[in-house]
Amino acid sequence: MDSSTPAAKAPPMHILRMRDAEYVRAGEAIVSPTNLDLAPGERMTRLCTSSREAEALAMMAAALARATAGSVTIGEYDPRVQPVHCKRIAAFVPHDPLPLTQIDAARYIAYRAALWDVDPSLARRRARELHQQLDGLHEAFAYPIVAALVPSPQLLVLDRPQAAFIPQIIGAAAECAVLIVQTEGRA
Amino acid sequence: MTARALRAIVGARLRVERRSLAFACASAAIVGFVQPHGVAAITDPLTSDVATRSVWLAGPMFFCSTIGIAIALSQGPGRHAFLDTSERSAPLFGRELARAKALTPVLSATLATFVYWAAQYLSGFAAPPTFFILALACVIASSLVALNATVRTGLARLMALGLAAATIAVAYILAVYADAYSTKSGDAVGVATELIVCGIIAFVALRQYGESLARYDPL
Repeated sequence: MDSSTPAAKAPPMHILRMRDAEYVRAGEAIVSPTNLDLAPGERMTRLCTSSREAEALAMMAAALARATAGSVTIGEYDPRVQPVHCKRIAAFVPHDPLPLTQIDAARYIAYRAALWDVDPSLARRRARELHQQLDGLHEAFAYPIVAALVPSPQLLVLDRPQAAFIPQIIGAAAECAVLIVQTEGRA
Repeated sequence: MTARALRAIVGARLRVERRSLAFACASAAIVGFVQPHGVAAITDPLTSDVATRSVWLAGPMFFCSTIGIAIALSQGPGRHAFLDTSERSAPLFGRELARAKALTPVLSATLATFVYWAAQYLSGFAAPPTFFILALACVIASSLVALNATVRTGLARLMALGLAAATIAVAYILAVYADAYSTKSGDAVGVATELIVCGIIAFVALRQYGESLARYDPL
């Protein structure tokens, strides 16, 4: 083998891996030690006992919050050390709807595309296609999902999405792994 | 960080804060018009110079800095949650996000300071451009210090606000008294001292804000 030729980098076995990942705030364990493995393209629903736990777990999975104990790996990166790399891989969709009274959908897509440095015309086209796939979902809930998918992430983390529309959301996110964090009773 | 991302963050934040910005400019215009500019008759030219500075700079420095602090505090988490979440989940370093987020209160406060200065000018009290620069340096520095309060809670938040207030006081004292009774260098010493001190404070505050944003835990 020619030593000057770099070996082809194997894709990571897991797009998201949590090992005893815990989130503690003011002495209270909001997320108890969690183990989770999500392969590229896989879909997973995780049930939590409270909305606080669901939000914290979703944010940990998307590198928005750091685990207080244990380890989280997104792609090959540790969010504590390389959060920016993790955020290029993972996209987060919050539970709260988009306030359409403050920003209209087209402007929001353009804003998100600029943050991820996606070509504006490509973003518009992709947003149109994705929105068609999410037909029926209210715009305030659909556009955060559309905006999250426009930069083509490898992992989509949904914080308590509307249960009735999960099949449509998964259909729109066909190219990436999906982690759905729900509270018990809503799944 | 691309220039497009910077423009997107500043543009989105200015758009959602447009009412606050309009209110800030309107109040700056009103206060600029009604602020008393009269100085007691003083025969000594050096004492008269200090008195003039102290009266003419007090309004823009204290009032516009307060506006800057208020706008900086409105950038805190929770007020526009969708912007906060989008910016936090974007692949941006803390320092890059800090620069972009800081531009909004800085631009708003700069505009309010300019409106105040223009109101002073139009009301017949032609404040020299140097006064505008002195006031602007103070406003920018105190706004950037106040931004640090948005990512802190409790006592640390109060301390950051206290530091912002102290920045205004120090800048005012330097601008008015740094070269008081100096006949050789004119205003140069006072202007340079105030600008350098405000520049250092602004630089440190912005770096600190970047560090805080990088470590910030939204939960």
